[in-house]
This record gives sequence, C-alpha cells and structure tokens, in this order.
Amino acid sequence: MIRSLGLAALVAAAPMGAAAHQLVVFASVDCESVVVEAKFSNGRVAQQGDVRVLDGENTLQSELTLEEDGTARVPLDSVDHSGGLVIEVDTGGHDNYWILTPEDIARKCGS
Amino acid sequence: MNRTLLTASLAALIATPALSHYGMIIPNDPMISQEDGRSVALTMSFSHPFELDGMTLERPASFNVTHEGETTDLLGTLQDATVMDEQGYTLEYPLERPGTYIFTMEPTPYWEPAEDAFIIHYTKTYVTAYGDDEGWDTELGLKTEIVPLSKPFGLWEHNVFQGIVKLDGEPVPYAEVEVEFFNNADATVPDELMITQTVKADANGVFTYAPPSDGWWGFAALNTADYTLPQDGEDKAVELGAVIWVHFEDWTGQ
Repeated sequence: MIRSLGLAALVAAAPMGAAAHQLVVFASVDCESVVVEAKFSNGRVAQQGDVRVLDGENTLQSELTLEEDGTARVPLDSVDHSGGLVIEVDTGGHDNYWILTPEDIARKCGS
Repeated sequence: MNRTLLTASLAALIATPALSHYGMIIPNDPMISQEDGRSVALTMSFSHPFELDGMTLERPASFNVTHEGETTDLLGTLQDATVMDEQGYTLEYPLERPGTYIFTMEPTPYWEPAEDAFIIHYTKTYVTAYGDDEGWDTELGLKTEIVPLSKPFGLWEHNVFQGIVKLDGEPVPYAEVEVEFFNNADATVPDELMITQTVKADANGVFTYAPPSDGWWGFAALNTADYTLPQDGEDKAVELGAVIWVHFEDWTGQ
C-alpha cells in the first residue's frame, strides 16, 4: 500500500537526481529509531542534507538534517509508522528516497 | 537412402565438439531495487548452458555470500530443486542492506570420463541491492577467479566485459576463457564451434568480450591444477575453472 502510494506521489513530485554520481538513500529500523543513511554512488557519505519523513498518506511527520557521517536518526515513537514511512533526503544537488514498508518495520520489531 | 545411412553412421562415429561445462548461479535479477522487494532468488545448476543441457549438481563443497567484506556460509540453506531436468538448488536470500552481494559456489570435483579429468568450477555471480554498487570489483581470493574490470551488472548488450583471470591470486597470462550464452532465447548457431566462444587473455591476464545480445553470459577461465585426484587407481588431472556470470541488458534506445 505504502509502496504504491509513496512511489506514485514521489515519482510525481521528486525530480530524479541528475548527476554523474547518484545519491543512495537507505533506512532501517532498530526498533527504537529509524536510521537513515545517505551516501553518493562513489562511496562518499553525504555530509549534509535535509531529511523528510512522511507517513503512508504522504503527510509530513518529521524534518531533520543529516549528521556529518551521512546518517540521521528518527525516534520511532515520534512518527506514525503504522502505514509505513517514506524517507526523503535532499542534499541540494541530489535527492532520493527510501520506503520503509510496514513489513520492514514489523520484521525488525516483531510488532 | 545411402546418403541418409552414411550421414547417420558418420554422426555416430564422429565425436561431437566438447561442450563446455558451467557451474551456474543465476539470480532472478542482478540489480535488485527497493521496489523489487527485499530478497533475491537464486538458482544453482551445472550444465551446458547454450543447449540447456543440465547435469547433476552434487551438493557443493561450499556456497557463500560476501557483502561489505564479510563472508557468510549459506551451504545449509540451499534447497533441492530440479534445474534443466537435473539436480540443482535454489535459495531465497534476504538483502538486508544496500551494496554488492557476491554469491560463490565451489562444487565437489566432477569426474568427466570424456576428458579423463576432474572438473572444479569456482563459480560466482554479483548482485547489487538498492542502487548501491559499492563492492562490484571485489576480489574474493578464491583458488581461481575472474576479477571484474567492468562492473559485472548494469551492462548494455554489446558492451565489452573485461576481467582479470587469476589463479592462486596471480594473473594468468594468455589464459583461455570460454564464453557461453545461457540460451533461454532459442538462439541457434551456424556451426557447433559457436556454441562456446573462446578468447585469450593478454600478458596481464586481462580478457575482453562483447556479447551479441542481452541475457546471461558465462565466462569460464580454465587452468590445470597443480595437483591430481585419484580415479580408478590412477592420478587424474584437475581442470580448475574460474566462472563468472554476467547479465547484459537489452538496449532500450532506438
């Protein structure tokens, strides 16, 4: 559900990163937090960038910035993740997203 | 009538060209995106891939995956399966993180009476997950392997694929590399010589090949081991194969 919703919305809204190296965005859940990781395809971490966390209905849940190590942590209890989450990262010149499905979250948290 | 008989007799007498044996690790997709799911489905077999002629793949001596420098033993997770009408294996492997996953298989020695030798093909296939290709050029340090110089996925048809043939960690000058298509496209050949194509590496062990079509192409660099194995009371030679499977994508432009 979130996959199709998120993808449809994001594909319509977010321009693809047009550059020689792409931004790779990944997010995982350790049951307490969503851990966002962003790096470029050449292996360098994205040292700065805006992170937006949206729920399954594409409603903004949280905004924060990347740490210098290319990561960001979002407390899981601070967002409505029942319908999954869409994590957007925008470094200015590059942007990309990762979709955490409800199954991704449940698999790590057993809930 | 005489001509038919003669042809049939000759066909029975004349040995057919030796077909290449290939260990095979074929994923459902060499580039798994987040929209594809969170796992990759692998099929392992032993075959003559152009002719889709399967052979029994005994349970391998080892089956591993390497990701971000860490190697994990997956041998116990292989599922029995029938592949090309013969014993093979499947595996659904979860991809927990982005990056390149390298699946490797060391089969048990295969006795090939027609060649009076054993065959051991160290086989590997690279799979990238979630848009992150880091690790695509990883050298695993296998007994023998083809170290990719071209990214071993995300290639267009007609792109060249280049690799270095290594044996015991050293390049093999002028190594012979056999190339064969996993022929699920009903390709035919004007001559049986074209079932298996052969290129040689240069003095640095580097070889180059450009396939004529999209699909899975297997590269097998063959060398003779510096040891023998016993068969029927005699010491027999061992052919060591460094096999890599590479998928080329259909060019979408006009």
